[in-house]
Amino acid sequence: METQKTILIVEDEKNLREAIADILRLKNYLPLEAENGKVGVEMALSKHPDLILLDLLMPVMDGMAALKKIRADAWGAKVPVIILTNLSATNEQLVEDMVTHKPMHYLIKSDWKLHDVVAKIEDILKA
Amino acid sequence: MAIKMKLLNKVLCAFLFIALPGLILLSPLVSAQVNITKNARVDTGNAGLAVRVAPGEVLPISVKLSNFGGGKRVDVLLKYSIFTSTGEEIYTTSDTAAVETTASFVKTVQIPFGTAPGVYTAKTSATYQGQLVPATTQFSFTVERKILGIFQSDFFFYGGISVLAGIFIALLVYFLVRRRRTTRFTPLDYSNIPHDKRTFYEILSDTIMQMRGRVGEQALEIASHIDGLKIDKETGRVLDLTEPPAKIIATLVSEYEKLLGKKVSFSFRGNT
Repeated sequence: METQKTILIVEDEKNLREAIADILRLKNYLPLEAENGKVGVEMALSKHPDLILLDLLMPVMDGMAALKKIRADAWGAKVPVIILTNLSATNEQLVEDMVTHKPMHYLIKSDWKLHDVVAKIEDILKA
Repeated sequence: MAIKMKLLNKVLCAFLFIALPGLILLSPLVSAQVNITKNARVDTGNAGLAVRVAPGEVLPISVKLSNFGGGKRVDVLLKYSIFTSTGEEIYTTSDTAAVETTASFVKTVQIPFGTAPGVYTAKTSATYQGQLVPATTQFSFTVERKILGIFQSDFFFYGGISVLAGIFIALLVYFLVRRRRTTRFTPLDYSNIPHDKRTFYEILSDTIMQMRGRVGEQALEIASHIDGLKIDKETGRVLDLTEPPAKIIATLVSEYEKLLGKKVSFSFRGNT
């Protein structure tokens, strides 16, 4: 029997986080929820989820700082990450960091429906 | 008395040699006049105009009357009738025409509105004084309903052809557009670019391609004006980066957002 895949959702907007978690549960995934980057890093390194969905603009610790910490870990260096943010890549340093820490996708929230985001997650996990 | 007898003989001789032959010659003349009337003809046709009419439309009947009269006017009563294929008369009307020798004209007959589709016969008969034989003529025509002003059979025939042509053109356009899109939006290969710079090339190339798909050629135009970015204006291929690549990407994304009002998402190659 195939083990249930775990997805860590690091998102400070509670409604969005819960909505994504609900869809993932319906798709038979096990969602883990973190409300900021710091909690996200702790959960990621302790639970070793199969995929991380990461927001960039968050309190306590932003998404990029969290991604750097996760990538610094031996396990975290290879975990698939999807950035889901409102922040456009209009900053040179942000682009540089993206290319260095390579998320799978950099998705702008306003351009993506939740089901399409979940479809991206499914594609990655099925590959 | 003898004188009277001589006079009687002269009159008798005159009758035998002059008047009698005259009478004999006169008879064929009368007979010839009868023959002219006997040969009187009426011909009708569709006037080369219509063999197919819709209910409510007029059927033109070309009428030609010939061999009448011999110089005298003859009043001819013309009766026009429409018969079904089973011989049932559905319409009749009549006219009178004064004919000397020949006459040609076109008579129009309106087909009744409720006439069922089918093959019909238009019969025309001529009646005139001193007529010896009936003069009748006929021709066949078809009654067919119209849809949007076009005969039903033509409507379905040409409609079918139009639908097929439409489907064919739609499929052709669909495949051409699809092929063009496939060609235009297949990620360009940058395996010749050094590994440390390749990701930047790929992000730039994919971003231009994505935006081209969303807004069209304007995406190429904007990209071609970004400092440090050299692209092929036809394909959007990134040719060279002469500024820091991350700066170029940030500027391009910023310009697209500012000029087109579109935000940019991207994926990293080699990922799903």
